Amino acid sequence: MLLGIDVGGTHTDAVLVGDEGVLKSFKTRTDRGNLLGSVTTALAEVTSGFDVKKITNINLSTTLSTNAIVEQKLEKTGLFISSGPGINPENFIMGDCAFVVPGSIDHRGTETLKIDMKMVQNGLSECKANGVRVYAAVSKFSTRNKDHEEQMASAAAGQSDFITQGYRLSSQLSFPRRVATAYYNSAVWRIYNSFTDAVMKAVSQSGISAPVNILKADGGTMPVQVSRDIPVESILSGPAASIMGIIALCDIDHDSVILDIGGTTTDIAVFASGAPLIEREGIKLGGSPTLVRSLQNRSIGIGGDSVLAVTEGNVTAGPERKGPCMADGGDVPALIDALNFLGTSDFGDTARSNDGIRQLAASAKMKPELLAQQALEYAVATIRRAIDSMLEEINSKPVYTIHEMLEGKKIVPEKIYIIGGPARAVAKAMTGMSEITVPEYFEVANAIGAALARTTFETELFSDTGRGVMTMPNLGIEERVDRRYSIEDAKHDALEHTRRFMEKTGYDTSAGPELVEVSAFRILNDYSSSGCDIRVKCQVKPGLIKNLHAKAKGGAK
Amino acid sequence: MIKAEKSLGLVFFPAFDWAISPTHPEREERLLYTQDQLREEGIFDIEGITEFKPDIATEEDVMRLHFCFPDVASVTTGSHLISAGGALRAARAVMDGEVKSAFALVRPPGHHAMKCVHGNRGFCNINNEAVMIEYIREKYGKRKIAIVDTDCHHGDGTQDIYWHDPDVLFISLHQDGRTLYPGSGHLRELGGPNARGKTINIPLPPNTSEEGFIYTIDSMVLPILEHFKPEVIINSAGQDNHYTDPITNMNFTAHGYALLNEKLNPHIAVLEGGYSVQGALPYVNLGIVLAMAGIDYSHVKEPDYDINYNPQDDDITAYIKKLREPVLANYFSPAPDTDRPATGQYYTRHKNIYYDTDGIQESQREHVMMCNDCRGVIMIESSSSVNPPGAGIEIPVFGCKRCRDEGYRLLKEARASNNFVTVQFTDRVNRVYERYGA
Ligand SMILES: [Zn+2]
Ligand SMILES: [Zn+2]
Repeated sequence: MLLGIDVGGTHTDAVLVGDEGVLKSFKTRTDRGNLLGSVTTALAEVTSGFDVKKITNINLSTTLSTNAIVEQKLEKTGLFISSGPGINPENFIMGDCAFVVPGSIDHRGTETLKIDMKMVQNGLSECKANGVRVYAAVSKFSTRNKDHEEQMASAAAGQSDFITQGYRLSSQLSFPRRVATAYYNSAVWRIYNSFTDAVMKAVSQSGISAPVNILKADGGTMPVQVSRDIPVESILSGPAASIMGIIALCDIDHDSVILDIGGTTTDIAVFASGAPLIEREGIKLGGSPTLVRSLQNRSIGIGGDSVLAVTEGNVTAGPERKGPCMADGGDVPALIDALNFLGTSDFGDTARSNDGIRQLAASAKMKPELLAQQALEYAVATIRRAIDSMLEEINSKPVYTIHEMLEGKKIVPEKIYIIGGPARAVAKAMTGMSEITVPEYFEVANAIGAALARTTFETELFSDTGRGVMTMPNLGIEERVDRRYSIEDAKHDALEHTRRFMEKTGYDTSAGPELVEVSAFRILNDYSSSGCDIRVKCQVKPGLIKNLHAKAKGGAK
Repeated sequence: MIKAEKSLGLVFFPAFDWAISPTHPEREERLLYTQDQLREEGIFDIEGITEFKPDIATEEDVMRLHFCFPDVASVTTGSHLISAGGALRAARAVMDGEVKSAFALVRPPGHHAMKCVHGNRGFCNINNEAVMIEYIREKYGKRKIAIVDTDCHHGDGTQDIYWHDPDVLFISLHQDGRTLYPGSGHLRELGGPNARGKTINIPLPPNTSEEGFIYTIDSMVLPILEHFKPEVIINSAGQDNHYTDPITNMNFTAHGYALLNEKLNPHIAVLEGGYSVQGALPYVNLGIVLAMAGIDYSHVKEPDYDINYNPQDDDITAYIKKLREPVLANYFSPAPDTDRPATGQYYTRHKNIYYDTDGIQESQREHVMMCNDCRGVIMIESSSSVNPPGAGIEIPVFGCKRCRDEGYRLLKEARASNNFVTVQFTDRVNRVYERYGA
């Protein structure tokens, strides 16, 4: 049996999945003041009546780190950055304990200015005096050469409980993102780890001995012990869990669009040939772009609780939400109330919905039927526009080779999958645009996705035979190589090192890493060859431990 | 989070799968470290900076200004059409108001491509800026355009295309042609009889430094621009004046390029040359991007600046100061062309053009109508070591009635004669782009 728990911003969902499909599911409101309580309740409820010894895997998605960052409940973090030429590094400072230190590494990883360790020491003394216990050390191009980050980290070692070094987070370039990601990672480290301690205790107390994995925003998981050093990777995993849930429930093998209609927002995701698209750079959180890999996902302000308004005869819904819809005890009619009135949904207290719609219609001198119908049309049109603009953006994404420019494939969705409260009602209204599917179990698709998601991993090998080095930054690998080091060597090393690293750190390696991008450039210095620049990206892409395709057929078609 | 003070569009197309040949400086990784630097700086995350995917230039976009022999397809590949398309996308972004200004970081370059094209010269096949300018004129109705070419090499292709056009001001700053390819761009080259003073060449001595370039911009380029009052300013942003460039002898810097760009304040910049792939391009491009976006670029400095950059010698400063007077005179009071025939007559130029990259020899006779009402109908007879004689006839943009009628008469005559294997015909007024022949 596989157990999945998704502690979301509004609801906490849990499912237990066995060979026969979903064995049990559980849904409750999230207690934002006590996320641990939500986890333990869900754990107890969903497993009651089952033999917990038969649970082979637990996957957990929580908003703990996300909340801490969004609500700025962050631990004071000593941030040390060395940057070299470029944009003024003062722009990237985060928190009130940051130090910009002279020191420079260039795009090939060559040190062009030694790091000023005296300034690092001064900064550290100041931090110590202020009782700072967690640190982040980031230098520009540290993915090509980690020396400066290492020097800063070892200087801080004596006075810190935890240090994030930028190069360990991702192989990807972007100094500002590296700074933000490292800072957040250290700033949530303690709260995340004490939460995880408590969760692990609760799991073992309930008699479960299965491994625990933590959901990430890219639709995959990481082993809980790995997550303790990179808690920032646990942010914004909710939408990805829903997307993975749809993959588990529906056999998607074509270009398609996924809509997850929640209370306040609708999340839109796009699939190319059945595979979810991954955000090129990383997810944005608290206004800062990060290096945290995520599935591409756009949120718009249309949901079941979107407030209805009539201005000069035009009916609109959202983006505002003023509490729950009337059917759920709210004071103002919302989208769900219109759907209830139309009879396409029967959520909660439909009589209250009908009253609300009639009152609003009367004050706007409209027929209530027309008002409800227009509200639905408005919502569908807004969603439709958002889908179109997202597709436009994806299809006009820049590419960097002539081959991709001329042969590039456009995404043309054939199907729309809809989950969430108003899914069936909206599906009905969208009929005729594309083939629409509302899968079964859609209410707990997020928890199903959480339960069935597999571990994911990504890394990049960078080798500069002119400098004689090969690095795989987030694996912490740096090796000497000679001029004969070839593309084939690099491909082999990338896969082999990744596999070994994953085995060592408790990842599921059954899917194995695969190569995603390979490039090699012969580097010339004034016409003479000075070596080869080889880059190999490899990943374990998002996938499922198993799917439920035979068990869950599409609902309202 | 940083915000761009002026919104900027970036068209970044490094063409990682295209090179002229394995050891040619115009090779695959030319923009590799530039991309690394821009990504590491987080340029594409800056609010107000938008990255655009290039358009692909069409045959019509090319035929609007070039005569290609034997045809467009024979002298262009996908790479050229994407590079020119990158410039088109940049123009579109600015003209449609998506952004205030745009920078097309595209390759291959274009400023050595002349009006007639038989192949590749100076790493260029088609002229990216000219393709863009004629697109802007046709789609957006703009007329007066200024191009400031800050590549180290003389922009002889752009000069050739606009030689007879009084509405396009072409200013080229470059290393003196007596010391560098293509050898042209002397003070005395100042435009055809219908467009005297609208081609301005500023040949700078080898080792010109920040001081010399900025002086040239402040005391020569800006006063001329201010007087010309262009609707659109374009910068051919070649970066081979850099002190680390392997194929030139100048002494310019990333900070200098950024400052120059800030002063010029172009609507659109298009990358041209620049072959110091590691030491210059990452920093120069970053500097230009920041300057165009109105972001502080004072921290952009080459790692070896303090070691390898030398301020300018006094004699170079003195030499450049002496250029000011003749350069300004060329624009403000150009000597009349004594060879100018009477209005309604043709002025003829004979040209022999060498295509260094492809080793092609071209021989040309160019006839332009002396007209007071438009820039004059043009006919070019061209043959080369790879193509038999062909003709190109162009009724210019904003062409007058007489030149339109004359263009159609020339077309009839050329097609009736047996002198030309191919005839290209461009009627910019009625937007006709045709090609006749084998
Ligand atoms: Zn050049
Ligand atoms: Zn005329």
